[in-house]
Amino acid sequence: MPTTHPDYRHLIACNECDLLLHRPVIRISQTARCPRCQSVLISARANSIERSLALACAGLILILPANLYPLLTLELLGQSRSETIFSSAMALFQDGLWGVSLLVLLFTILVPICKLCLLFWVSLGLQMRWSLPGLSFALRSYLHLDEWGMLEVYLVGVLVSVVKLAAMASLEPGPGLFCLAALILVTTLSSSMLDKDLFWARIEALQEPDQDGR
Amino acid sequence: MGVKTGISAAKQQLISCHDCHALWPVEEAPGHCARCGSRLHLRKPAAMTRTWALLLTSAFLLLPANLLPIMQITSLGRGEPATIIGGILELTQHGLYGIAFIVFLASLLIPIGKLCGLLIMLFTLQMGWTTNMQQKMLMFRMVHWIGRWSMLDIFVVAVLVSLVQMGNLAQISGQQGTTAFAGVVICTMLAANTFDTRLIWDRYPDESS
Repeated sequence: MPTTHPDYRHLIACNECDLLLHRPVIRISQTARCPRCQSVLISARANSIERSLALACAGLILILPANLYPLLTLELLGQSRSETIFSSAMALFQDGLWGVSLLVLLFTILVPICKLCLLFWVSLGLQMRWSLPGLSFALRSYLHLDEWGMLEVYLVGVLVSVVKLAAMASLEPGPGLFCLAALILVTTLSSSMLDKDLFWARIEALQEPDQDGR
Repeated sequence: MGVKTGISAAKQQLISCHDCHALWPVEEAPGHCARCGSRLHLRKPAAMTRTWALLLTSAFLLLPANLLPIMQITSLGRGEPATIIGGILELTQHGLYGIAFIVFLASLLIPIGKLCGLLIMLFTLQMGWTTNMQQKMLMFRMVHWIGRWSMLDIFVVAVLVSLVQMGNLAQISGQQGTTAFAGVVICTMLAANTFDTRLIWDRYPDESS
């Protein structure tokens, strides 16, 4: 059985209002919108798979220093204290707020790591034309996890804390802060470079010869 | 295959996969999409019930989130609790209006705005209103996109608590208000996810000939 219904491949239904349309033909970096509700139907990106793979690799490298090096160091009357993403989650845990600390851990460490690994897996499979196991599950999970990665919100949180503390103590930015900023750049770029329609079509192309062979 | 464009897919017995947007005719549809493995539904299941439940939960949680302190600030042995609103007022007293505005936006305006936005969508659906549809969709997309930024205050507390641990000199500890506030953020984000905008378009008159 084919992975999409052959009679309906030339059609597309709007994701947000369910209007049935002919699948638009668009050029690179163009976006097609639904004429009724203006939501994005498909958006073509240049070299989406190659760029996603490159950005996933860059992100996987950057996520290590962004988590291991201190983001901020506070100095007050000779005492100093550094902070990483993990230590801020643990500080909440020590105050008995295990629920919130778990959420911070999820949204700022676990989800971003999972997202990068999933994107790496999918774009590697599609780039090399390897039929890796779980490609469609990985892409589906990536798309569902997308909004739950909150690194950029965390970075703004760090900046707000700097402003709040600047009056009472001296603060030093650590190398982790710059790595975090670079990581956010990479993850934001990778979200905007992802051409979902192309990814699904290529996954379909990889799946089909398999199923004919069976 | 007598399908016509310009009419909703569901009215022509076509299911559009929620995840990969492949089209399947209802009578031949497998339980799960053959391309992406996602479960196939015409519309998200129990969308309105789930959205109402999550919306009410977050509305109730808004009270403890704003009344309970989110952190306890101890300096030179003297401790005082800080609430979200108290923190914003303190920033304005120090003349930091820009930052005060950002925190005000993220912690008060966005959660309440999201609740109102989702309420409008639910009423639209329940009453079958079909006016200003494009504006409503724009509002819903804003609500969906902006939701995660409400976590800002939680992250600020996390950073402050881990940095300011100087014993009697200065100490900040997290308080229960953060749990309630995080609950508000999560519930409104989930509510925006469980809502199905296709439902409000189902009552919309078709324009096609």
